[in-house]
Amino acid sequence: MKQSSGFYKDKYDVIVIGGALAGLSSALMLADKGKDVLVLERHNLPGGVATSFVRGGLEMEATLHEMMSIGKKENRLKVGKFLDDMGVNIDWLEVPEAYHASLPGGVEVTLHPGFETFAKEIDQAVPGTYDKVLSVLNLCHTVFDSVNELSIHPMSKVKMLLKHEAFVKTAGYSTKEVLDTFDLPQKALDLLAPYWIYVGSGFSELPFTIYAVLMADYVGYGSFVAKKFSHEMGVKMAERATEMGVQIEYRQNVEKILVKDGKAYGVRTQRGDEIYADYVISAAYPNKVYTQMVEPISEVPQRAIKVVNGRRVSLTAFSVVLTLDKSPEELNIKDYSVFRAIKTMDTDELFKELGGLGPYTYVTAICLNLANPDCTPKGQTSLSITTLPRPEAWMKVKAEDYDELKHRLAKQFIDDMSEYLGVNLLDHILEIVIETPMTVARYTGAWNGSIYGYAHTMEDHIVARLQTAHEESLIKHLEFAGAHQISGDGMAPQITNGRKAAKNVLDSMAEEAQK
Amino acid sequence: MKFKGFLKDVGGASRVTKARLAAFENASDKPVKVDPIAEVAKQWHPGKVELKLVDIIDSCKTAKSFRFVRSDGEKLPFFYAGQYVVLDFEIGKSTVSRPYSISSAPYQAREKNGYLEITVRRAKADGFISDYMLDKAKVGDTFMALIGNGQFYYECLRDAKHVVALAGGVGITPFVSMAREVAAGKLPIDLTILYGSVAEDDIVLKEELDKVEGKNVHVVHVLSGDNPDWKGEKGFLSADVIKKYSAKDTTYFICGPQVMYGFVREELKKLKVPERRVRFEVFGQARDISRYEGFPASAKDKTFKIKVLRGLKEDVIPAKATESLVTALERAGIRIETGCRSGECGFCRTKVLEGNVFVCPENDGRRGADKDFNYFHACSTYPLSDATIKIPIL
Repeated sequence: MKQSSGFYKDKYDVIVIGGALAGLSSALMLADKGKDVLVLERHNLPGGVATSFVRGGLEMEATLHEMMSIGKKENRLKVGKFLDDMGVNIDWLEVPEAYHASLPGGVEVTLHPGFETFAKEIDQAVPGTYDKVLSVLNLCHTVFDSVNELSIHPMSKVKMLLKHEAFVKTAGYSTKEVLDTFDLPQKALDLLAPYWIYVGSGFSELPFTIYAVLMADYVGYGSFVAKKFSHEMGVKMAERATEMGVQIEYRQNVEKILVKDGKAYGVRTQRGDEIYADYVISAAYPNKVYTQMVEPISEVPQRAIKVVNGRRVSLTAFSVVLTLDKSPEELNIKDYSVFRAIKTMDTDELFKELGGLGPYTYVTAICLNLANPDCTPKGQTSLSITTLPRPEAWMKVKAEDYDELKHRLAKQFIDDMSEYLGVNLLDHILEIVIETPMTVARYTGAWNGSIYGYAHTMEDHIVARLQTAHEESLIKHLEFAGAHQISGDGMAPQITNGRKAAKNVLDSMAEEAQK
Repeated sequence: MKFKGFLKDVGGASRVTKARLAAFENASDKPVKVDPIAEVAKQWHPGKVELKLVDIIDSCKTAKSFRFVRSDGEKLPFFYAGQYVVLDFEIGKSTVSRPYSISSAPYQAREKNGYLEITVRRAKADGFISDYMLDKAKVGDTFMALIGNGQFYYECLRDAKHVVALAGGVGITPFVSMAREVAAGKLPIDLTILYGSVAEDDIVLKEELDKVEGKNVHVVHVLSGDNPDWKGEKGFLSADVIKKYSAKDTTYFICGPQVMYGFVREELKKLKVPERRVRFEVFGQARDISRYEGFPASAKDKTFKIKVLRGLKEDVIPAKATESLVTALERAGIRIETGCRSGECGFCRTKVLEGNVFVCPENDGRRGADKDFNYFHACSTYPLSDATIKIPIL
């Protein structure tokens, strides 16, 4: 045990484990309130999976499809506003469309943000559905507004029923149950389904509340990417936090969270430094914290084990990231994002399929050039093809079979996309990187390589999460920030999750100061 | 507004809350400590492992091969033929590291009693570490090592099945690994190695190359010196000789001394080889940074003071303008992680808080946002004034 050899202060107000979007959001908010914060990041960069890499002199986007909750400069949504308020000035570029849906039976429809536009475009593909689709979207928007308000101002159930009727009345139902009440033709329902992969549960178990927030945010307000790749977000947040007095140290792998009498008081790094703080915020998954990191392990309450075992770890990622030696036009690429369902758009069926090791028949293809023309040199294309498998099947993959598997799956993706575009992409690959659940585990340490935290299901509903959150604070002065928290997965929700952890710390500090 | 009846509708929030609490109650109370996905990631990328030197073999008059096994007896991690190992050397008060292409094949590492070999040649300049290996290293020595680095390997979805390797000097080593893997039937490509040397007795690993010559591996020695008895290819690795051994669709891998890179690039241009078919190994540290355009002549002989921040700790070290920040740190006994030492891998990512620096234009593999905020890869960055930098605590 070495006490920090001059590298660290004797004590911090808060230590944040993990310098990705959630941890950095916590740090920004705490620093803004004058707290003394140390961020320890295991990698040598900020951002976690929100990152980029350089191959053959070309920078390539690692993960981001697009950011929600940003909004245009004159009408920022909560995440965009938080970043503005903190002085984190990201160079946002607006994504031109919502998505292009490529569905079985030759359905090819491009949909743009804006409720009326979106409904009109679905109506063109499935005539006579305009009013119904618009009312689905309006319902989504009403629920979205309620969620945003209630997450800041909790209120009594009666008052909630009066002021947030739609939110209350849909809370107990799955997406399928609510959408079925609109009596829409299957094709229209299919066109409303592609974003499901961004939350990762089939419609029969996905809470409608989550679907509503997702659709209202993306379809209502569009989406954005950072001009200098996702890495711009991490770097700018880290730089701003540093300016505000936060100490950020890279390559510091936190192995232990020190707990005494049910209360966290510091951490120990792999290097052996013991560093003390009043509070610890962990971006490491509760699964890892409660089974490996808490020291002594006898400080882990049995309930903590039941809570992590009672939740399902959600999706991980499989992605083929390409730089191609032709322009998007030459490759017949017209859309920023193509959601391609080769066999079916039935999300419950697709969810089952994601429990295996392929072939995967639902992919998202992103051509970054269409939102960010400068992301490659002229005459080249950045294209990523992604699906989000469940961890279960990947847990059975053996190290010696891993390389063959990832190449086989990547080839299936490239072959299918080649057929779709009518261009053999294999003839144009300048750089290729295949990212797998193991890649996520390697760089971020995320449990099971999951990028989505715990699955949004009717047994782990966001409304229930909000109601019982206080009961899950099982070790005092230890908070969590990451996809495993209330708002769940997605890069923008990480910023909300990080703020929530910071708020919990600030509330606890205020409460204890009063005592 | 009604979905399935008023009471059922308004009871939703309570219902889902109960369901969630019930899920916790019904869950197992046994901790699940193992993450199998992280375990596979660890088998591929275990981080640093300790290697023990078990054999030293003469590879030619100027080079030796060093064979290592894992000190803990565990299996060596996976890697691709062509990748490099980063070895740490404890010299005096300093820990310095160097990348070496692995010359043994991946399959040889994974077999029972698996091993890993590198081949080191006496360097003409900056031979601090190669001299140490050739003169001082002995069987039984241990080294910390990071195995499986770099992008210089055959990628089946990207590269042509017909591969022509263009090698110079000790740059043959990654191709020996590839050739061994191909010869053992583990890598399904046709590999032709065009190996440029000055004279026959300069050829590194000649016996090893003779051994792997076969159905899918061809080694063609190209001698540039005055060798009247030589019956094989003569001259440099020019367009003519490259063309002679190329198929219609060929991927070229190039590894050798820095002067060879510019030459081969021009020769391949003559053959109109598409960019995606040409893969260069990283360039290595610049031999003489002061010769690059943009490097101010006035700085050439200067030594600056660099304030080095690690956490709250500050040290001040001297740094010559013509030596990289990494070299200055290593001389001063301050540990910094390095990988490729060619600006590519970013292991030595460093923030420059104050002062001016120069980046080797051949070796600027930084991300765009890093450039905007004064992050540099210290192995390819040279001080042009007194400066303050921040590096990770190691």
